[in-house]
Amino acid sequence: MIGFFIAIIVSLTATLYYYNKPHVDVKKSDAAYSLTAQHLIKEYQENETNTNEKYSEKVIQVEGDVYEVTTLRGNSVVTLNDPNSESSIICHMQAAHNKGALALKKGQKITIKGFCTGYLLDVIMVRCILVE
Amino acid sequence: MKRIYYIVFGILFMQSLNAQDKYLTKEGFVSFFSHSIVEDIKADNNQVLSVVDTKTGKIAIQLLMRSFMFEKALMREHFNENYVESYKFPKATFSGEIRNFEELDENNTVTEIFGTLTVHGREKEISSKVTVISTDNIITLTGDFTVEVADFDIKIPAIVSNNIAKTIKVTFELHHEPYN
Repeated sequence: MIGFFIAIIVSLTATLYYYNKPHVDVKKSDAAYSLTAQHLIKEYQENETNTNEKYSEKVIQVEGDVYEVTTLRGNSVVTLNDPNSESSIICHMQAAHNKGALALKKGQKITIKGFCTGYLLDVIMVRCILVE
Repeated sequence: MKRIYYIVFGILFMQSLNAQDKYLTKEGFVSFFSHSIVEDIKADNNQVLSVVDTKTGKIAIQLLMRSFMFEKALMREHFNENYVESYKFPKATFSGEIRNFEELDENNTVTEIFGTLTVHGREKEISSKVTVISTDNIITLTGDFTVEVADFDIKIPAIVSNNIAKTIKVTFELHHEPYN
């Protein structure tokens, strides 16, 4: 009888834990891929479908030059550009990195870690952090 | 820069383009909301691409399904992997028209937007009330409409059918700037 109750409590706890499972912590995660902005844009332009499969739902790290920093609904947005391309990488930062992002200068070389969600006219990244 | 825009939207508009008439945003907002007795589910997308042609009132919108942000990681996971199958259908698109666009002004801001919404690879003709406000060279479109989950062939397992509404409310807010 006691065993039965313990089983119920364990399964309820497990369900609740599963239901409330946290978002992946970008900072603590190792990047599955580390590449330059130029390289990422080129891969998307050459084969969008395959590139999407490769990078989506994975933490990736991208190095590039800051083109501009803007704010949107309380979060900063860093755009990395590739001088040789018409597209850029639009990185939506986590709020905790707003201060760091707003201090960036145009042309500065930086590394950003986050999730790539795909390609419209530009590569889009979300939940990004600045890598020191 | 212009070349890519022409290719992408030239196909959508199927007509010659004049950049001066184009207004664009890459940071549009689209949100959806599902209310059920078990839980409310809300997701926001702040990376919506939208282009309006002020000459014709035609509009083209694209968004990435994976850019929707949920409160819970599990909701996002189920949404992308099981329901809308983002690995197969990474984008949702809308291609349509704003009715009587040229007649709108500061006293007459409400009209209808109509066209084809594509989600999960399925097309559906929709229309919605829209408020159009043009100030300081920014064209803002706001509104909301509802869609039926079943219209897009999205299958919700019976075990969670009480958690997810059959009808989903979609809200949008798009601030277009001149494209040059």
